[in-house]
Order: sequence, then structure tokens, then C-alpha cells
Amino acid sequence: MERKLIKVRVNGEPHELWIKPNITLVDLLRNELGLTGTKIGCISNSCGACTVIMDGMAIKSCSILAMQADGKEVLTVEGLAQDGTLHPLQQSFIDHAAFQCGFCTPGKLMSAKALLDENSNPTEEELRRDMEGNLCRCTGYVKYIEAIMDIAQHPGKYSAKEG
Amino acid sequence: MAEYRVIGKDLPRKDSIEKVTGKALYSFDVSLPDMLYAKILRSVYSHARIVNIDTSEAEKLPGVKAVITGKETWGIRFGFVDTPRYPADQPVMAEDKVCYIGESVAAVAAIDEDTANEALDLIEIEYEPIPAVFDPEEAMNEGAPQIHGEQVPAPGRKCAWQDWGVARAARSFNPVNNIGAAVNIGYGDTEKGFAEADYIREDTFVIPRTNHTCMEPHGAVANYNPFTGYLDIWLSHMGYEVKRYWISKTLGIPIGKIRGHKVFVGGAFGGKAQAFDYEIIAALLSRKTGRPVKLFLARDEVFTSTNNSVALKINVKKGVKKDGTIMAQHVKLIGDMGAYRGSVPVCLFLCHSMRDAIYNIPNLTHEGVGAYTNKSTTMSKRGHGSQQMTTAIEAQMDWIAEDLGLDPAEFRLKNLRNKGDILPNRDRLNSYGLPDCIKKVVEASKWKEKRGQLGPGRGIGLAVSSMFNGSGYWPFTCASIIKMNHDGTVTLYNAQVEFGQGPTTTMCQLVAEELGLEVEDVNLVDGDSELCPVDYNNWLSGGMFVSCKSALRAAQDLKQQLLKVAAEMLEEDAEALQVMGRRVYIKSDLQEVVTFDEILRYSIQKHDGDPLIGKGFNKAVPEIEFYPSLSKGSGRWTDAYSFTAAVAEVSVDEETGRTKVDHIWVADDCGREINTAICQGQLQGQSVMGIGDALFEEVMFSEGRTVNANFVDYEIPRALDVSQITTIDASDPDPNGPFGAKEIGECARAAVIGSIVNAVYDATKVNVKSLPLHPEKIFRGLREKTN
Repeated sequence: MERKLIKVRVNGEPHELWIKPNITLVDLLRNELGLTGTKIGCISNSCGACTVIMDGMAIKSCSILAMQADGKEVLTVEGLAQDGTLHPLQQSFIDHAAFQCGFCTPGKLMSAKALLDENSNPTEEELRRDMEGNLCRCTGYVKYIEAIMDIAQHPGKYSAKEG
Repeated sequence: MAEYRVIGKDLPRKDSIEKVTGKALYSFDVSLPDMLYAKILRSVYSHARIVNIDTSEAEKLPGVKAVITGKETWGIRFGFVDTPRYPADQPVMAEDKVCYIGESVAAVAAIDEDTANEALDLIEIEYEPIPAVFDPEEAMNEGAPQIHGEQVPAPGRKCAWQDWGVARAARSFNPVNNIGAAVNIGYGDTEKGFAEADYIREDTFVIPRTNHTCMEPHGAVANYNPFTGYLDIWLSHMGYEVKRYWISKTLGIPIGKIRGHKVFVGGAFGGKAQAFDYEIIAALLSRKTGRPVKLFLARDEVFTSTNNSVALKINVKKGVKKDGTIMAQHVKLIGDMGAYRGSVPVCLFLCHSMRDAIYNIPNLTHEGVGAYTNKSTTMSKRGHGSQQMTTAIEAQMDWIAEDLGLDPAEFRLKNLRNKGDILPNRDRLNSYGLPDCIKKVVEASKWKEKRGQLGPGRGIGLAVSSMFNGSGYWPFTCASIIKMNHDGTVTLYNAQVEFGQGPTTTMCQLVAEELGLEVEDVNLVDGDSELCPVDYNNWLSGGMFVSCKSALRAAQDLKQQLLKVAAEMLEEDAEALQVMGRRVYIKSDLQEVVTFDEILRYSIQKHDGDPLIGKGFNKAVPEIEFYPSLSKGSGRWTDAYSFTAAVAEVSVDEETGRTKVDHIWVADDCGREINTAICQGQLQGQSVMGIGDALFEEVMFSEGRTVNANFVDYEIPRALDVSQITTIDASDPDPNGPFGAKEIGECARAAVIGSIVNAVYDATKVNVKSLPLHPEKIFRGLREKTN
């Protein structure tokens, strides 16, 4: 298979790679760039474990081709903490013991960030609706929702770091 | 609790940073130099002879390094159950026939996944379909297709229980009429009990298969070194001990040469406990190629080949006095085993034993059979038997209460056992928080005001459940080591696997509490079979009670050693000393202090280099020497029981039959909460899992084919399905638990399912005797009622 050139920024780092055009974005992240924080739970766009942010939008990276990220900016869970400081959402997940097995956590963090970037003050209903695509089998979602709502209801916690 | 500094608090999890930064390593994240990728070719027939397999074209494909079929593993058997009565019955790969759709037939290792998949397409298999049977009752009929012949252990082969040192040799087993498991337990005189009852009721329930749907699919990385003969494995699992036993047993690799490495596991729920074909296949391919092999299953393979929960038909007959005293119970179970025995012999037994600590039933008969069918195998899932049985028993309890005009809560309280009781099998109820669970959950939910008062379409229901804390037949032992570090901190070595349930945090809390340290002062080396002492892990919820207790015992051992040396240094009696903040004090004179690192240096200098190492071990049921009998239920089962009482409040849309769970209250007796946030998380998670079980989860088959093997067609609860959940601590500390603690990860699910079922009945008076409570079942029932 003829390889194609892709230029993509991932977590602020520019990459130019020759890749097989049939690979998905999650393959690019995990196998080509070694960013294994993004998980694969279904490869069918239905569990949300592979959620990353591309040009500001939360997307399921298992269900788009890597080539579709050409010229785009991609943020993964590895890019959330800056200069050794956790992102407020990460800190809130810890403070609320939001996760258990942790497998869906990276996807949840990215979905939550995309939502809060667009709507910093969602209602709980809006938040739950937005998180419908991120399945979790351990937590019953309770503490995840609490952790994200805590950030949403205390904008200072979020904007202080994020701007 | 004011008396404790570290336990009973919602301290952050020790695995926090790794899990929120994406650094937590799961087995699928492991990549090794020169690694190959493996794929499995699976049967597309429910029941067929394999006439021929031609792998020649696949072998020729560039990049393919190995192709294997059942020829490589012919005659080898493994299984969840491998006892004198029930020999292991599962081949690693199909031999001369396939018994279910999804069974492994061939496997390929290649330089990348695309090549491996392409190679699978090139394998030609000639099948000759034979009649199949999918329903366990049809399977038991005379003349039904026989799935297996007589199971004769290979000459000289020891069964697993024999290898584990406590049982005699396996006999051969002939599954006449496809019956592959049976249980017959009883005490008292059931017929006499029924004769003395004023009221008898009999109901039959159908509980379907459900899937664990761990977010992390199953898989393995195996790395066999052909020069040393060592095999390294990274698995998605619940404890390496049974995994490496079966890899050793099936492939002949000495167990001491198999190392299970620490990884995080993305959920388990009982579904990753047993050994799997794909793990043995990955190890075999690695040995064959001399290269590391990664083998991961796609989500549809997880649904079709890694075992669902056990589907049961449950018939319950109960005899009760007018005043509500239960006189007798007779249970008859029919288990749908699938193509191999799976955990069904255990499940049939647990259906009784998981619930025997709840009600005082003087006369009881518990019978069950499991039949082979041409479907995938079935296995433990969070509660293993408890949730199936609880659904049936607790629903019937409510109908009896209604018929006799009793309040369901009072009816239950009247029939409970008592703290201190000795069960018919000799288990003792040293702790028994169940009455308190019921009282607290009834109070918190305002049960008395609401029951029967909520108006049309709304209802409230109660159910109770119990759970083992490890068992005499698993885990056998768990052990821990703690070493002193030169800065006064300690390092704990314990091989429990972190699959979300939180031992990496809670066991460090126990150690910190005992040694007067902070949790941050306890380093942890965990989940590795070479770095840590033996640990048979968290099965049957033995994690806290058995394994974490071994960590506490290691801390107690180390503390004694520290105090002994400190006593020598301070010229005091050890009893006059106490530990706190990496120091030892004289209780009466807090100025007299030696630090842990001073004690360590002193010990090394004056005591022949003794670096102070604490050791702890623990057996689940200390007094017993032999396993209980699965088929007769004799022998002790567990050393402590946990309990849950749950109340659910629901609304049922009478136009559509759709149920919405509005609020769940769950009161749990876990002995003592070690980490309150983790405890709440376990109860919330089980509550929401229970919503799925009660309302919509069911693995569906058509002619043996799983028709909903994905997250679109197999629904699990999502963020919007979640109601309000109130968790209540109703703990009764157990004298044998670490600081009184018992399990909290498994008990509640069953009670929650039962409470929802009972709430839906309260709302609709529609008697649905099968799970899940699909809207159409309720709708149909409502319509029948109006007509």
C-alpha cells in the first residue's frame, strides 16, 4: 500500500509522517506516535474510550481515518497536563475519585473538556446528554458527573488554568 | 471514626495520576521489540464436524510467521472446573468438531494485524454441519443431539484440584442427555415443612445471559524466550495464578518459568478470572515463533467467545405460615451451560450458598442441573449465582407478602438469621449487618410512607443479598511482604491485580494505619508474579478479607520487629511503645523517640544485618483442610458474609411499558469502610449495573449466533439512564476482617436488581417472571390486566 504524507499537530507538537492511508486516527496516535493513553474499546464508534479533541471538537478517533486529521490540531489525554501541572478536570477527577478501572477515563476527560470549552456552565442534564457517548461500566457515572459539574459550577477552577 | 487516622477516609486513589494522565499501562498498551500480531479464526457453525483445514495458502503469505490449528493442541483440555467429578472439558482449539459459533479453530501470527487478518481469509475449512441444540431443556430430552461423548481424563493426567493438593484423581464423566453438572443440597425435611405451612407458592423465573462488557476488551501479550524457556505474559485479568497454572498445564511450560507482569486492567466483573483459549494460543504462538505475540479480541469476539453470565431457569416453591414464618423452600434450577462446562457447576452451588446466610429456612432442598448447548460457554459475573437467585427469591418474597397481607420489609426481618448463628454447613455469622441494612434503607427511602402510596405508574421495592468473602476453594492463600526503606518509609509487595476495585489504595491504607504512617509513605509493588509473594487474588470477593488482610498481617509483623528493636534501643518494654510518623515513642514520655530509619540502621548493625522484613499470609477459611463439595454443598464455604439491602423507586410509563428508575438507596454491610470514596463508587457502580440487568441487558441468540454482539444492539446503562443513588453504610465489623472490613464490590448488584423488579411490580402489579423487564413485557402485562 502506497504511503501518504500527513502533517498533523498532536498535543502542540508538529508531526510529518508517511503513513498507510487506511489507518485510523487512533492507530496513528497509539502505534505511530506511541500515545497509548487513548484507548480502544469497540472500534465501532460506540463506546467513547478513544475520544480525542480535533480542532476543538470531541471525536471518536477509532472511526475517522488518520488522513482526515491532515492539517489539523489534535489533543489527547497526554496533552492535558501542562508543565507538570494537572489540568483542572484531571485534578477534579482525582478529588472526586471519579474513575475506577480507568480505561474509559481518557475519553471522558476529552469529552468533558470539549464540552466545557464550548459551554463552561452546562446543566447536569446537558452534561449527561453530552456524555451519553462515553460508556463506563465501573462507576455508574455518578462521580464522573460530580467531578465535571464541580468544575462547571466553579468557573474559577477552570479558567484560572485554561484561560 | 475518630480512632483511626488513615482508614475510613476518602483519600485519593494511589493509581490517580497514572489514570488521569493516560500513563496507566494496560496489556493492550504493551509493545515489545520484534512483536508479532495474532488473530483467531472462529467457527461459523454451531455444531459441525471439521472435515479438513487447509492452511497452506495462509502459510505462504509473506509476513505470516505461524499458523496453528487444533492439531497442535489435540487432546489437551482446560476449564474453569477441573475436579475429580468434573474433568476439564474444553479444547484449546477445536479438534475434529466445533460446538459453538465463535469457537477457536485456527490462529495466525504475522508481522502486523492486516497480514494476520489476510491470512485468516486464506485458511480453508471444510465443515460438515450436524444437528445442534440451543435450549437446555431440549438438550436434556432423549434423542437430542449429543454434544460431547464420555470425558475420559488422559492417562496420568491430574485434575487441577489434585495438582492443588487436596483432592483425589479425576474420574471419567459421561454427559448423558447433555447433562454436564448437577447439584443437590438440602437440610431439614422439606416435605414435612411444606405440610406444616399454611400457604405454598411456586413460581418459575427465567434469567438470561448478560455480558460483563468490561470497557477493555480481552487480550494477551506473550513473550517466550526460546533460549531460557521463560514465558512473560501481560494479561487482561483478575489474578495471574490461575492463568499461569493453565498455560503451564496445557503447554508444559514449568510454572516457575511463567511470569505475570503488572498491568492495569480495564474492568473485570468476574469475566476475566478464568483461563481463556486466546491466552494459551498467544503463548503457543510465541513459543512457536520465538517472538513476542500480541493477541487482542475485537468487541464482537468478546461477546461471542469470552463467556457470558450463566442463564438459569429457576423454579422456587416456598411454604409459609400465616404469620409469615418460612417453613420450607424447594428450588429447582436448569442451567444453560453452553458448549463447555464453564462455571456452571459452581454457579448452581453458589445459587444456594450465596443466599444461605440471609433467611432462616428450616427445611430446604436445592437441586440443579446444567446442560450442554451449542452456544458459547458461561461464567461468573459479579455475584455469580447470587443475582440470578436473588431476582427469583426476592420477587417471590414480595408476592408472598402481598398474598399474606404482610409488609415486605417486616416479612423479611421476621425470617432473617441472627448474628452468631451457625449455618447448616458450619459457617458462622460472626458479623451480620443485614437487619441494620434493611432498617436503614427502609428509613432513608421513606419506605413506610411510600409503599402503596405513590400513585399510578409509580412503585417502590426492596430486596436483600449477601456475598462471600473469599472461599475455602479459592483463594487458597494470599501473602504480602513489607520492607523498611532508609527514609523510614516502607514498600509493600502484594500481587493483587488492580482492575478498578481499589486494592492498590486500600491495602496501603491498612498498612499505613497499622504502622503509624501516611499512605504516601507506603510504596507499592503489585500485580507481578515474580516480584510479589503468592496471591490467589480477588475471586469470590476475597480481595479485602483475604489478600488485604495479609498486607495488614505483614504490617503487624513488621511493627513487632520495629518495636522489639526500639525497645532495645530505648531500654523499655515493647508494650510501652507506640509507632507514629515514622517514629517509635514511649507512650508515657512522648519526648523519648527513635526514628524508623534509626531503628533500621541499628538492626542492621547489631542484629546481623537484619533489614526488618514483615511477612503476612492468610487463608480464606483457616479451619478447613479440604474443599467443599460443589455438588453436595458440604463443607465450609467462607469465613464472613457481606450484606446489602436495596430499595428502588421507579416510574413506569403505562402507555409504553418503559421503566425509569428514579432513585436507588443501597445500604451495605462491608464490615468497615476503608476508603469511603471507593466504597461509594463500588455501590454506585453496582447500582447502575443492576439497572442494566433489570431493565435491558440480554445477550440474544438466533440458532446459536449472538445477534447483539456490539454496544449499539446490546445496551448498557449510559449517563442519562442513571437515577439518584444514595449509598448508606450499615457495617457490622467482622472480627476476622482487617479492621473489621469485608468486601463491597460484589454483593449489592443482586439486591439492586431485585429491588427494581419489585418496584416495577409495585407500580404495575404485572407479574413478569423473566429478566430483563423489557417495555413490551410490561406493556403486554398491563394490557392483559385491563382486558
